[in-house]
Amino acid sequence: MKRERPDPAGSPLPLNRRIVLAGIATLPLALRAKAARAAGASEDFINEIGDQALDVLRRDELSKEEKLVVIKDLLDRYTDLDLLAKLVLGRYWRTASAGERDAYVQVFRELVMKTMADRLHEYGGETFEIVGSREINDRDSLVATNILRPSGAPPIQVEWRVRQYDDGQRIIDVVAEGISLVVTQRSEVGDIVASDGMDGLIEIMRKRLDHDPGTTGG
Amino acid sequence: MSAATRPAGGRHSPCRVGGVLFAPVIMLAAVIMLASAAGARAQAPVYDPIEPVNRAIFSFNRVIDGLILDPAQQMYGYAVPEPAKTGFRNFLSNLTSPITFLNDLLQGERERAGVTLGRFMINSTLGFFGVFDFASVVGMDEPHTEDLGQTLGVYGIGSGPYLVLPILGPSSTRDAFGFVVTTLALDPVTYIMSDDAALATRIVSGVDTRYQLDPALDDLERNSLDLYASTRTIYLQKREAEIRNGAPVTDDANYEDIFNEEFEESLE
Repeated sequence: MKRERPDPAGSPLPLNRRIVLAGIATLPLALRAKAARAAGASEDFINEIGDQALDVLRRDELSKEEKLVVIKDLLDRYTDLDLLAKLVLGRYWRTASAGERDAYVQVFRELVMKTMADRLHEYGGETFEIVGSREINDRDSLVATNILRPSGAPPIQVEWRVRQYDDGQRIIDVVAEGISLVVTQRSEVGDIVASDGMDGLIEIMRKRLDHDPGTTGG
Repeated sequence: MSAATRPAGGRHSPCRVGGVLFAPVIMLAAVIMLASAAGARAQAPVYDPIEPVNRAIFSFNRVIDGLILDPAQQMYGYAVPEPAKTGFRNFLSNLTSPITFLNDLLQGERERAGVTLGRFMINSTLGFFGVFDFASVVGMDEPHTEDLGQTLGVYGIGSGPYLVLPILGPSSTRDAFGFVVTTLALDPVTYIMSDDAALATRIVSGVDTRYQLDPALDDLERNSLDLYASTRTIYLQKREAEIRNGAPVTDDANYEDIFNEEFEESLE
């Protein structure tokens, strides 16, 4: 497939034209991804997100805030944060009132974004490779990746659970070295709700949100 | 930072006490484990009947970590050159690999046992008593570790009640049992070294483990809502992953239940 690539040195095209061209050029890719649910569609999806994230992280000319805007957008677009919030709360979701649910999902989203912001500076030249994927059922797949470290230390194995929706795919869990994000958060949250109730949980999450990361940790 | 967040890996005990003292502990652990193990693998992923006691020991461990282990690992990280750290890790990993070999066999993993044995033979000789990982240089499979707790897990024995051990950190009844038996009866460190040398080796190993885990512990401390609960679930998940020997997490029925359609619908 031929892609229109503007000459990087002094491109004659205005920026918006270039974006349109890029969109047209990638349209067949997008269509193909939608048509072919099987055979590596979820691998392509993870690969695409990874490439976009690395592309932003590597651009030294961007400030931390500028990077954060793009990364947050990727996170919001390609992760089903509402489902994550629900799964993390587990059976307590059922008994929570509508108001509690809204407040919880809101603070959950903010906390995910804040954690991402805190971790942004930790990027140290890591890259990734797709190891393989398997279909779990008719809507979920698990994509295995290796996070490769520049130091040559053994790669970190990260698996991505990807769900197919009518309008595209989204990540619904991340499993690093066998440790699942959903399972881990569920365990924390369950303990807190059991002892302090929904109000207590939302309160603790809000506090964590206001917490300056620089004041704790070694 | 927390000593308690350091998994009590079979080879990383910073303490060596005489076998006589340990004997009652083994008996006790065996009784608790057998009483609780039957059918335990099907139970909920977190089983922590003595949580108040565990939380108290966890807090104690955090104090010890702040006073001793964290400063020690910082000094170690600063003072010991990287090649020396790697050499020490290689040496100890090679020395204790017969434990892995034995457990590979007990688990019926003949191929993995072959890798462990081959690596041991190459590294013990060409690798200068294991200090250099020559086996990896010549393209042998990456090393893995197996311990008795994992073997019992492969046999279908559940982790039993979650335990936090003083100084050693997170464990479970099954894993603590395996750890004690291994340290007393199987660990080559116990056999080939004098008591003092074995103690010193285990202390350095503990500090090294703490050093390697430091970034992860930092992150956990910053982002966890309840450090005790996250440490517990991470320990238990990590052990389950080790028992699966690389099979994906989706093989775990407890995990799949979370994403089960009916369950999700009940959340609507």
